[in-house]
Amino acid sequence: MKTYLMFTAKAFSNQMAYRSEVWFRLLGNFVTILIQVAIWKAVIGEVDVGQVSIETMTTYSILNTLLTALLLNGISGKVDSSLKSGSISSELVKPISYPLYLLFEGLGGSVYQLVFTAVPSFLIAWLYFGIMPPASPVFLAAYVTALLMALAISFLLGYLVSLIAFWFMNHFALSWMLGGLLTIFSGSFLPLWLFPPTWEGVAKLLPFQFLGYVPASLYLGVIPAESILGVFIAGIIWIAILLLIVQWLWKKAISRLVIQGG
Amino acid sequence: MSIISVSGVTKIYRQYRRFPGIIGSVRSLFTRQYSEEIAVKDITFSIEKGEAVGYLGPNGAGKSTMIKMMTGILLPSAGEVRVLNEIPHKARKNNSQHLGVVFGQRSQLWWDLPVTDSFELHKYIYKISDESYRKNLGFCTELLSLSDFINKPVRQLSLGQRMRVEIAMALLHEPEILFLDEPTIGLDVMAKDQIRQFLRAVNQEKKTTILLTTHDMKDIEEICPRMIIVNKGSLVYDGSVAALRSKLGDERRVVIEFAQDPGSIEISGLTLIKEEGSRKTFLFTRNGTTVFDYVSRIAEKYPIEDVSIEDVDIESIIRRLYKQLAAEDEESQGRQPILVGGAN
Ligand SMILES: Nc1ncnc2c1ncn2[C@@H]1O[C@H](COP(=O)(O)OP(=O)(O)O)[C@@H](O)[C@H]1O
Ligand SMILES: [Mg+2]
Repeated sequence: MKTYLMFTAKAFSNQMAYRSEVWFRLLGNFVTILIQVAIWKAVIGEVDVGQVSIETMTTYSILNTLLTALLLNGISGKVDSSLKSGSISSELVKPISYPLYLLFEGLGGSVYQLVFTAVPSFLIAWLYFGIMPPASPVFLAAYVTALLMALAISFLLGYLVSLIAFWFMNHFALSWMLGGLLTIFSGSFLPLWLFPPTWEGVAKLLPFQFLGYVPASLYLGVIPAESILGVFIAGIIWIAILLLIVQWLWKKAISRLVIQGG
Repeated sequence: MSIISVSGVTKIYRQYRRFPGIIGSVRSLFTRQYSEEIAVKDITFSIEKGEAVGYLGPNGAGKSTMIKMMTGILLPSAGEVRVLNEIPHKARKNNSQHLGVVFGQRSQLWWDLPVTDSFELHKYIYKISDESYRKNLGFCTELLSLSDFINKPVRQLSLGQRMRVEIAMALLHEPEILFLDEPTIGLDVMAKDQIRQFLRAVNQEKKTTILLTTHDMKDIEEICPRMIIVNKGSLVYDGSVAALRSKLGDERRVVIEFAQDPGSIEISGLTLIKEEGSRKTFLFTRNGTTVFDYVSRIAEKYPIEDVSIEDVDIESIIRRLYKQLAAEDEESQGRQPILVGGAN
């Protein structure tokens, strides 16, 4: 465990080499939030969007923009390139588990983003746009739990994409597709409660909602308290399903690697 | 008991046919057409604890494939590999604790972090005690002169510096066997030299068993008393460097740059093999007289600008090995086409 935490620590310091990027990220996040808020202001003035206020939508936009920085689906590029270039060999000759190494290394990046992007962006957004407090302490706790689930699910989805790419086609096509699915079905821009009922139903059957809609709605208390448990159970089932698929594919990838040499 | 034993090992790569384009990539999913490539062909050898063995062969001879099978990241198609008495593929994690591996063309370092950070991570991965970490780091730092750049980020290192770091890292956990796949590829003469001296010291002082692949004959002469030569997957020689030299005759190439083109010159013992104006290349066979004798004899008659002496490259050694084998084959029909020269 200590070994894996070292990976997190090193990945964190590794990112420090790029700290000049921090300003661009802060600016990027600010602009993203600014545009979303402007859109919602225009929309809420014109059409009925249910019982939500502009404050709610502002907070929803801010939470989702910041969450995107923390997610781990970006690891897919790393796995893909190390499988294809064969540098996976160097990882396999070490006495460590490669998937765990990946996860903990990815977390180092997330912690870095949390400290240097999410927290400062949050403060800026709070001062400039205002952020609603969490609906209640219970919802705050649910929100934090949902964030951890979002990390796990985003990691598993990214890992899954890279493993699929190992066999089938190019990783960009798949990552791009994942990106598209995430943009729409996570509800990170358009909350699921604004979807037409059929599509809302579809979105709620997919794992992507945990990477946007679920955490933000828990924070805001949009999801009723009695549904929280059900949502978490669904999340855990998704984690379990993805974990099984990924384990199975990883075993296949390794045995192919060991027989065919990449 | 041998620390490494390879018996009758063959590796056949099967490459499924791929079709170009997007439609092609979908088609590739369903095709079962493949071609086979025999990378390693029925190879047998064993290595004792403490040996330093050079695994020599031209590009594509199957050297990396053999290293991968010994480190457990590739399964042989036939035959058996045993390393530290285990099947490497099955005991990969356990064995890895006792192996050091350097892949010359691949870095194991963290690109943006100082060298020391990669070392420290290595310490955790291999659970190295503080004391032996300090001791081993000291040994490597001194002999490889790492202290000049140990605090620099890896991306700022030259290739030679990086390779020294890779080798040092592979030794921090005191492995019993050190595998190096082309550790000197692409390095300048100075860096090559330092690495060779270091590896020799590691083998002699720490008694680490070393197996290194290379296509540079010189690596072997300076580090390894024993060499194994492979070509197109097959083992063609296993024995000492000295035995091979005496077997093949000790040839060297002498390139002389004359002040002016001397026209045709004849000196018995030197064979002219290439002529580019005032620059001439001779083949020299050792026969009691040294190269310098010849050169000074030439220099008495013609002014010389520059002289360089090159060892014969691996390709021509193998070519001559084959010629030799063919000649012996004619003498005694039905002989096994493998030379196993007087080991050590
Ligand atoms: N993963 C692979 N799939 C198919 N063929 C391979 C693979 N790896 C190596 N080969 C082939 O096997 C032969 C030996 O390769 P290799 O072991 O890398 O040689 P060396 O390291 O001596 O240059 C080469 O002809 C190479 O093209
Ligand atoms: Mg090679």
